[in-house]
Amino acid sequence: MANPAQNTAAISSGTSSRLADMIRATAKAIEANRDTINALNVFPVPDGDTGTNMLLTLRSLVDDLPTKSTESANTVSKNLARSALLGARGNSGLILAQYFKGLAEAIGDSTELSGEHFAKSIRIASDNSYKALPNPVEGTMLTVYRECAEVAEKSVADNEDLESVMAAVAAEALDSVRRTPDLLPVLAEAEVVDSGGFGFAVMLDGALRALRGENPAGRVLPVPMPDGRSFSGSVKADFVDASEEIDWGYCTVFAIHAAQLDLDKIRSHMDSIGKSPIVDGTDGIAKVHVHMEDPGEALTAGITYGELSNIEIANMDDQAAGWAADRRKDPDDSAETPAEPVAIAVVAVAAGDGLSELITSSGMGAASVVEGGDTMNPSVSDLLSAVEATPSKQVILLPNNKNVVPAAKEVPALSKKDVRVVATRSVQTGVAALLAFNTTQTLDENETAMNDVIGEVGDGRVCKASRDVTAYGHEIRKGMAFATFNDDIVAVGREPLAVLSKLLEERASDAEIVTVYTGESLNPEEVASTRETLKSKFEDFEIEVVYGGQPHYEYLVAVE
Amino acid sequence: MSIAVVTDSTSDLPVDIAALHGITVVPLNVHIEDDSYQDGVNISADELYRRLPNQNVIPTTSAPSVGSFIEVFEKLGQTHDEIISIHLSAKLSLTHNAALNAVSELGSSGPKIKVIDTEQASMALGWTAVQVAEAIATGSTLEDAVALAKSASERSIFVGMVDTLKYLVRGGRIGKAQGFVGSLLKVRPILTMREGEAHPLERARSRRKGIARIKSLVGEYAPLEKLAILYTTDESDAQDIANDVASFAPDGQPVVAQLGPVVGNYLGPGTLGLGLIRAE
Repeated sequence: MANPAQNTAAISSGTSSRLADMIRATAKAIEANRDTINALNVFPVPDGDTGTNMLLTLRSLVDDLPTKSTESANTVSKNLARSALLGARGNSGLILAQYFKGLAEAIGDSTELSGEHFAKSIRIASDNSYKALPNPVEGTMLTVYRECAEVAEKSVADNEDLESVMAAVAAEALDSVRRTPDLLPVLAEAEVVDSGGFGFAVMLDGALRALRGENPAGRVLPVPMPDGRSFSGSVKADFVDASEEIDWGYCTVFAIHAAQLDLDKIRSHMDSIGKSPIVDGTDGIAKVHVHMEDPGEALTAGITYGELSNIEIANMDDQAAGWAADRRKDPDDSAETPAEPVAIAVVAVAAGDGLSELITSSGMGAASVVEGGDTMNPSVSDLLSAVEATPSKQVILLPNNKNVVPAAKEVPALSKKDVRVVATRSVQTGVAALLAFNTTQTLDENETAMNDVIGEVGDGRVCKASRDVTAYGHEIRKGMAFATFNDDIVAVGREPLAVLSKLLEERASDAEIVTVYTGESLNPEEVASTRETLKSKFEDFEIEVVYGGQPHYEYLVAVE
Repeated sequence: MSIAVVTDSTSDLPVDIAALHGITVVPLNVHIEDDSYQDGVNISADELYRRLPNQNVIPTTSAPSVGSFIEVFEKLGQTHDEIISIHLSAKLSLTHNAALNAVSELGSSGPKIKVIDTEQASMALGWTAVQVAEAIATGSTLEDAVALAKSASERSIFVGMVDTLKYLVRGGRIGKAQGFVGSLLKVRPILTMREGEAHPLERARSRRKGIARIKSLVGEYAPLEKLAILYTTDESDAQDIANDVASFAPDGQPVVAQLGPVVGNYLGPGTLGLGLIRAE
């Protein structure tokens, strides 16, 4: 292991792989602490996705890093601003992107990273973040940035080296996070600290360890709580119940491309039509994040400033309602490429190993899977890369989630291939559509056949409530199972299987075939008993029970 | 001058229809374990389908021998001047080839014989033979009959919805329907014949949906000159389909025909289908 005293005064071009390593280490650190960061997330929307958003933002950054270890600091930092901004997800991702923008600006043409650059990068991040938000709120990542910048500048003034500056800032970040409930009452009510701020502290800890040559991967950082308390692992129950009442609308994120962009004007425009807007930009790109009741309104406003890309719309009511940190899957282990070139390829979004396998097995050798769904929606660029990775010039894209449909619809315009989006609103609908796919038919014929199918499929879901909820007149206690059919709640009960039976009794009487996909939480005995129970109970239609392996939902159901 | 019409047992022509039109049907062979049978002669379709699901019994089939064609042609040559011999797709069987070999064995000594590869199977082939026989009965020449056999086979369509593709795969006749193999979900593949081999048409998610699709296909292919509803084991389902699509049959009465042991060996129990000829 390198002697830190010799190497860390500055990272010179000879050792500059360290900057890239430090950035990679931040992603690893967030990965190890993601669930905790998600669990802390209550502001501005308690949708439990801050850690995931930060991780995905960092991953897209890491993917764009130069691979050669000899690259100097300025080469490494050159694309940081652009890729952070384009890959940014959610509120926290955009504020995080400010830091990398600051880092790129601070390093400038310099081939080495110094303590001064580091201090400057946090200062720029802090200043820009306060500017990017029309109504900056204290007790958030902004506060942590600002307080860290002050400590960093003081440390530089005391002629400290990079390692000492970073160590001082990393310690301050934790202290600053600990104070956030004093500044933002909603955090105190929920008995948490700011999730994004904690995420930033986690990143600094990871980066510092990488600088010291330690391996930070997998290190779980304790949450700095006020008064020496420890974090319970979830927000306070009363707070959760209260938050259910609020109508959160749609989290709408997109990039605007134009030669000239007046960020202040866009920011005040978004503030006038939506909530929690963040607008930031670099080199002809403005990234907009805004919470809207009608996401179309934000897009319509955005398009008056330039061309739009990377559109992502997530229903925060769904997210807040389905707030469960355990439903996320690693987005990396996806994208199986068909072995032989095929005239038409199908790209489908799915979460769960069983469902992925079902899709590839049913796709006539032409289907590949993009991991995602629910709150972990793939971005336009994820979908675009999967489409581009297929060996075919003609591609059918199945978003398999109504929140992914808008992103999918961006793809045809961005790809040189002939891409058709069949707007499947769920993965079970997507599988049904895929079974209408036939490689011996033309693209038009396939598109028509698949569209014909999706209108005939009813979507059922069974899952357990992650907390007490009152919805559509149903009181659902935490841990109880409930079933929805085409988004209506139709049954509530103790046992998922009983709830599933009730769902089928009520909504499948006219069905010809019912397909039940079992979730990852069910063991093989439960799958077997599901199969036996349903087959003995329902004789009027064919029923097939298959392993889906999807997170969160005990059962996904297609009624055809 | 008279012309005889010959086909093979993969035409699945019901005996009464073959007899009515004076069509000679040459049987293919079915081999089960150590025993050989002649299709439709000493093994019934029902017997074969009863034994098919048994994993230890894998029946195979073989083309009629060249000798059996020589025999048939020589016999017919005693009463006819010319013969048209209309057969199963040459890509699926050596039957067409055996008939051609018989013709060259006979040389110029025998009757004038034309051998046709319809690139079809089952009643799509059977109806072609019937149309040719009908034309000959009204005075068509051998040349006209050959042209009609080609035109009719091009307009003929075979559709089969199978319960499983395993028999096609096992028998090496999967062809372009390969793409339908492998889904972890149970699907009812609907197949057709294109360019002489099995071709994937669609996948139905349930048997009921598949039956509905077969019925709607009849309407899509109409107007029709000939229509048969085919089955391996489920005659009543085939009869129901026939009742529902009766109006599309030229005489209001679709023929309900059982798929014979050779074709059925590759489609399996539970198969339902269509054999038809579209109007010109």
